Amino acid sequence: MTDTEQFPVRVEQPDRNGGNIFSRVFDELTAFCRSRSLFILHYCTGCGAIELPPAMTSRFDMERLGISPMVSPRQADILLITGYVSVKTLKRVMLTYEQMGSPKYVIGICSCTVNGGMYWQSYATAKKLNDYMPVDLYIAGCMPRPEAVITGLRQLMDKIAAGEANGWEDYYRRYDYYLGHQQRLFGETWQTPTDVIAEARHYGLFGPETLGDHTRLLEQHQAPLEALEMQLGLGAPDEVKA
Amino acid sequence: MRAENYEARNHPPSNEFEINFGPNHPGIEGNYALKVKVHGDEIVAARADGGYLHRGFEKLMEQRLWIQNIALVPRICVPDPAPMEVAYSMAVEQLCGLEVPQRAQWLRVLLLELSRLAAHLFTFGGHAATTGMYTPMFWGVADRDLLLDLFEELTGGRVYSIYNIPGGVRRDIPDDFLTRLSDTLDYIDSRLPDYDNLLFTNQVFVRRARDAGPVSQAQALDWGVTGPNLRATGLAFDVRRDDPYLVYDELEFDIPTEQPGDAWARTLVRRGELLQSIRILRQVIDRLPDIGGPIRAPIPNPLAWNVPAGEAYVRIESSKGELSWYVVSDGGDKPYRVHIRGPSSMHAVQVLEHLVTGCRIEDVAQIMFSLDACPPEVDR
Amino acid sequence: MNDAHLPVERLSIILGEVKEVRVTQKGPRRTRLDVAADALPALLELLKGRAGFVHLSAISCVDWPDDAQFELVYHLWSYELNLLVSAHTRIDRDPGVYVSVYDIYHPAGFFERDIHEMYGVFFEGAPDMEKFILTEWDGPPPMRKEFDSEGWVNDHFDWQDYRPDWLLELEAQGGGVMIPPDEQRFSRRGIEDNDDAG
Repeated sequence: MTDTEQFPVRVEQPDRNGGNIFSRVFDELTAFCRSRSLFILHYCTGCGAIELPPAMTSRFDMERLGISPMVSPRQADILLITGYVSVKTLKRVMLTYEQMGSPKYVIGICSCTVNGGMYWQSYATAKKLNDYMPVDLYIAGCMPRPEAVITGLRQLMDKIAAGEANGWEDYYRRYDYYLGHQQRLFGETWQTPTDVIAEARHYGLFGPETLGDHTRLLEQHQAPLEALEMQLGLGAPDEVKA
Repeated sequence: MRAENYEARNHPPSNEFEINFGPNHPGIEGNYALKVKVHGDEIVAARADGGYLHRGFEKLMEQRLWIQNIALVPRICVPDPAPMEVAYSMAVEQLCGLEVPQRAQWLRVLLLELSRLAAHLFTFGGHAATTGMYTPMFWGVADRDLLLDLFEELTGGRVYSIYNIPGGVRRDIPDDFLTRLSDTLDYIDSRLPDYDNLLFTNQVFVRRARDAGPVSQAQALDWGVTGPNLRATGLAFDVRRDDPYLVYDELEFDIPTEQPGDAWARTLVRRGELLQSIRILRQVIDRLPDIGGPIRAPIPNPLAWNVPAGEAYVRIESSKGELSWYVVSDGGDKPYRVHIRGPSSMHAVQVLEHLVTGCRIEDVAQIMFSLDACPPEVDR
Repeated sequence: MNDAHLPVERLSIILGEVKEVRVTQKGPRRTRLDVAADALPALLELLKGRAGFVHLSAISCVDWPDDAQFELVYHLWSYELNLLVSAHTRIDRDPGVYVSVYDIYHPAGFFERDIHEMYGVFFEGAPDMEKFILTEWDGPPPMRKEFDSEGWVNDHFDWQDYRPDWLLELEAQGGGVMIPPDEQRFSRRGIEDNDDAG
């Protein structure tokens, strides 16, 4: 199926309950260090983002926890979904999530990510974020205060240090489930540039539920990726000017 | 990417390329996108792309009771939510012919001006950050937080106050609130010299902001520019004075204007408005204790409230410009049609596309922030 | 023009020149005009040219499915007279085509585009009828009255599970959610249905 299958990739699966004591100590040290240096992707998806500037700046100062904003998804650890995600945003969020390097953590802020919140009747917003991507932590509220955001982040730090924030592994193990929900919303031809199945094999997280009906549908529709055509004509703004 | 999918493409031999500014970009205000075509460093074409924050407010409001919508409306504009509540409440009052008690009107003015202060402080920070200066952002947001504390004390909510209901306001001011408000205003006043040194007279900022995204007065009128952006072109027009609502005709305030209409002028106008808001709030502090009476007019059972059929068009000066609401009732317990005209629906789409075209790429973020465009208002 | 006239009188003098327009005074600075669809662009041109109504505040569209009509409302503001005029006109719901007023008012570009995607009304002569907000929407125009938003949500989204195991444990101890939101939400709809049946 993929080129990566031809290469033997040796993957170390951490065995948390036993195994070599040195590797266990090393794993714990890694988890501790990871939890102390987190970068939040700077993507304001909804209204909860208005409480992030107070949380980041002088008053609540998130940086004392070792958390700071990051502009590029490739270098970020935490994807904060700050509030309702419209379907149009959710597509971009999915692309962003798949671009982030593992381990990655998702926090759903605001009630809208939990159950649709105030917008439960709205045709435009997604109702349940954990249908589309694994969510490690929800911070409920409309909108949560900066203190709540920081408490949530501290809980995430504790979870990472304890090795429990493994939502990203779930995305590989149950890719079919998440892909199914994405296809339901975005249409059958939905396809991202990231080859999640090959990545799952590479990380050794390929499970029985990685493949399924939805990934078969993806195989059928998958088109080779092409560079995007330029969309803006030079004439357009002049017409408006006239 | 799979190896078999990769195909080296022959790109056209040019230095023109297209960049997506946003939605995931720190230089864009909120979740919004601007597609720009760049020739070297110069932008030759631009197209705004919105809808990332679309929630279908106008449809949602048609499905909920008049009173339920109160909780919904502040969410339309996140940095400056109070004008939304006031405008909606005023529209319902017009439809029902409800007379709002004096004290409630003064409390609404208090809320609106506090919200304007907070929004302007936020905008200064954002604008400064786009020119590479982060200190004003840290200070502005921290000072805004003091205002949010007042909001919380007054209304119970930091950002979304949900303080207004048709007929008046939900509760009266707490004890000694006016003293604390006065102290906070004194503090912000005392900070202004610092802000002047740091931002408004800082040569780094002045040289960047001057001549960035200039709008002439004729263009501004042609494109439907309103609010501080219009006043930055020299036209002294303010809905609060020229189409007065609430008790603004009893208050004294000036309308700051500037001539050149560029990003620098727009920022200076906002600085002037900051001072005027403080002036208005001081007048409110002086006069509020003398105004007695109830804080809301009696309304029928809100769960079975059939608002008489009719239409209302309400205009309000929000911190971004002219905000207007068109509300139609068919005599039912829910609005028949609500149309929200946010000021940013002009600024963030047509005006931004015009202003960005021809400028250099590093000025795009600055121009957007100087217009104080608020994407949730555009997308609704 | 004679400046001694009050703004409202100046407006009524100008409107006196136009036939087939019904003027209603709604308030001190609010005037409602009802005009036939084919006379509206000429009226807007006159208001802009003669009375200084240079600012198009908004174009609102109201759907009246019972009359099979769309109502278009053009809100104009004059910086000279400090007056707001709302010009109402009605067009047929089918086929839902009208002329663009972009030549007269440039802000109309945004509002017409918005009405096009929300109601499906096409404006002839508009510079840009591409989608702006609903670029990734394949359903019907959502603001039309016949579009059932709640039904759409039920078809396309799952609801959050309000009876997870840990909550059942809490409920056994007497806590938990009083009324699960899924029962709360559709209660109104259920009552209406019962009333109809009764």
